[in-house]
Amino acid sequence: MPSAIDYLLSLPPYGMAPEVKTAALLAGVHEQIAYHEAHCPPYARWLRHQGFDLRRPVQSLAGVPWLPVGIFKRMFLSSVPESQFVRVLTSSGTSAQVPSRLPLDRTTRNRQMKALAAILSHRLGGQRRPFLILDAPPQEPQHADRELSARVAGLRGYLMAATEQEYALRSDGGRLLLDRARVVAAVERWAAAGTPFCLLGYTYVLYEYVVRPLRAEGARIDLPPSTFVMHFGGWKHLHQQAVTKPVLTDHAAEVFGVGAGSIVDIYGFTEQLGVIYPDDPYGVKHTPTYAEVLVRDPRTLDIVPDGAVGLLEFICPLPHSYPGVAVLLDDMGRIIGRDAGDDSGSGTAFEVIGRAQRAETRGCGDTLPRQVYETGGTIR
Amino acid sequence: MKFHLLFDHEGARIPLDAGYKTAPVLDGLEALVAELRTGQQQLRAVAFNDLLGLCDAAARSWTQPGHPLADFIRRNHLGFLPLWLRRANLSALARRSLRDRPEALDHFVPLGEKQTMMVRAQPRGVVVHWVAGNVPVLGLLSLAQSILCKNANIVKVARNRPGILPFLLAAISEVNYTNAQGNTFSGRVLTDAIVVVYADRQDEAAARELSRLADVRVAWGGRDAVEAIINLPRRYGTEDIVFGPKTSLAIVGAERLVDKDSARRTAAAIAADACAFDQQGCNSPHTVFVERGGPIAPSEFARLLGEAMEAECRRSPLEDVDPAAVMNVLAVRAEYAMRGEAYHSREIQWAVVYSDEDRGLADPCCLRTLFVRPVNSIFDVAACCSSQTQTAGLAVDDRRQALAEALTARGVERCPAVGAMRVYDAPWDGLFAMDRLVRWVSG
Repeated sequence: MPSAIDYLLSLPPYGMAPEVKTAALLAGVHEQIAYHEAHCPPYARWLRHQGFDLRRPVQSLAGVPWLPVGIFKRMFLSSVPESQFVRVLTSSGTSAQVPSRLPLDRTTRNRQMKALAAILSHRLGGQRRPFLILDAPPQEPQHADRELSARVAGLRGYLMAATEQEYALRSDGGRLLLDRARVVAAVERWAAAGTPFCLLGYTYVLYEYVVRPLRAEGARIDLPPSTFVMHFGGWKHLHQQAVTKPVLTDHAAEVFGVGAGSIVDIYGFTEQLGVIYPDDPYGVKHTPTYAEVLVRDPRTLDIVPDGAVGLLEFICPLPHSYPGVAVLLDDMGRIIGRDAGDDSGSGTAFEVIGRAQRAETRGCGDTLPRQVYETGGTIR
Repeated sequence: MKFHLLFDHEGARIPLDAGYKTAPVLDGLEALVAELRTGQQQLRAVAFNDLLGLCDAAARSWTQPGHPLADFIRRNHLGFLPLWLRRANLSALARRSLRDRPEALDHFVPLGEKQTMMVRAQPRGVVVHWVAGNVPVLGLLSLAQSILCKNANIVKVARNRPGILPFLLAAISEVNYTNAQGNTFSGRVLTDAIVVVYADRQDEAAARELSRLADVRVAWGGRDAVEAIINLPRRYGTEDIVFGPKTSLAIVGAERLVDKDSARRTAAAIAADACAFDQQGCNSPHTVFVERGGPIAPSEFARLLGEAMEAECRRSPLEDVDPAAVMNVLAVRAEYAMRGEAYHSREIQWAVVYSDEDRGLADPCCLRTLFVRPVNSIFDVAACCSSQTQTAGLAVDDRRQALAEALTARGVERCPAVGAMRVYDAPWDGLFAMDRLVRWVSG
């Protein structure tokens, strides 16, 4: 008999009737909570502390016990023996002092790849494409140890949807530079063959090393209209330069000669890798069949009404090697619609507003303004 | 250089809950300082005792049912403020700070047994107060002491809730006090020697101007903030009073853990200290060290402390939360539920966490979160203390002086009883503030 997770992953990523999706998700969640309770003693202790009793089925997604994302920075939680680790993921740590550490086993990795492939394939129109990677080519096996940064892991995950890979940047004494000749050659080759392709990279790399230099020169690299420019990762550095998502989208569309709908911002996070949330053609993110988003009030921790801003919680039963089934993030956002009914399929439409800034110990006080939210960001 | 004028002799220029942007804009402070000096001359003409009377009258009126300030004080958990402004408290503070001669603020007084030396406490001049953003009302504490020392005052508030001090000062300006001789004084004699301004923290010219005008610079705030202030150019002879970033702790001796009643009383006192200022004051406890060996074990005390926090938060709920701090607290709660004991409200109100394995000071995470840690001896805590430790609240009996000696030798500034940690007294951060707000002269 297939597991609830196998069944969930057999469903299409979008377009499921809400009640079918919720039932499949709840079954997967229940199965995974039972698994983690049996295999991760700290998690089992925490469940008891929450008063959670597996003998009573979870009735709704709002009733699923969730962990705050910071627990993965404070505790190394594993539901498989170390011998089964294929990697230990760490969050990028660009804004966090201590990174999350998550053990990855083969089961989790396979589930993540299935989910990612399904979502990406849907967004790319059902076909694999050549990828122009907005980074320098790796020179050596840089991560021979099992600690692999989530950044690298995240990028590699996307490449399974690639029929071919080219790199758009080169490293010059540790400095990244746009390899314009190589980019132009690849673009011309794929365009001449009528092969739709993608540009893919980290958001700040896209802006800092591609879009900004091209704009500064008044230069363009015209891409065919079928091209997607997909980017993901943190916005912290860009926000410091007052570069918001609309600014990046406009500037990228300008230098590549494509419509704003071709610039695809992808939201995702280390604790539930594999499930990604790309913009639809209208710049809106939707939850796929394999996950759901809830929004909680920071003070009461209750679910807020749709449209109200709060802390984002994601429920996704795919993690097998660590208990990341339901995670409350330090990102603020809101639900902007349900069952959107456009070509991205149904699914809860949501917006990520930005990260609640890191709390600081202030002792007797702090004369600096207590700015709570970053604005305009979508990626953590 | 741009200043937003929030309060002057014409009263509050912004409503309580407004931002600074609606306030009048000034491109310099010279004219204001001239007005301040006029106000200071009026202030100097009033006897110290009558200034105390005005503060006392304000404090009494604010606790009257129906007074607009009464509700504000309740909502903002500022119950200490009317008590702190009462004559008895300020008089004791002045005596302690001014060599038992507060009359020296009015005229020359004899000093010493032979009484051959006559001394006088002259105001230093213009005192500039940089007030912290997280606990803006603390600025009133240095401001009141400076006013009693008859200085002119410029208060630079933070962007966060800039209307609070103007609101309180406006209330003080409306008070009247009649002394035993039948002379009536208006609270304006106090507030006409005060202006409140806001300047953007990026406005270096404004910061330098404030520093240039100061005879005394009083800096409340975190490390970056106070370092930025004391590194501003200043005139020769300018005095600095820094109330910088420090944290506090509580220590419970085994003698207070002989039975549940005693332990509960101690827990209630610590809970009250932790909830004051929503645990954002430098005198708020974060770590509670509990001595082993008593009939009540540290782990059981943690549970009782949880009950006390629940009771305290029912009386005085936490209202404002910072989502980033919430996430930190939630992670702490989850961690201890996994590897220790976690007692907490369902919502974000309070938390008490415990693990037998924990040692040393916890990283404060605020939002009324207490880390209970076991120690074999209360004297072991001294090793965790440094000049960054402000207050150690003690629940100890016969060993109290010996413990205070050990703690203060390591850098701790205050060792009051638990329950009194939240009381703002003198000395504070190693100094008697009023002593630094006057020039001692002889004649």
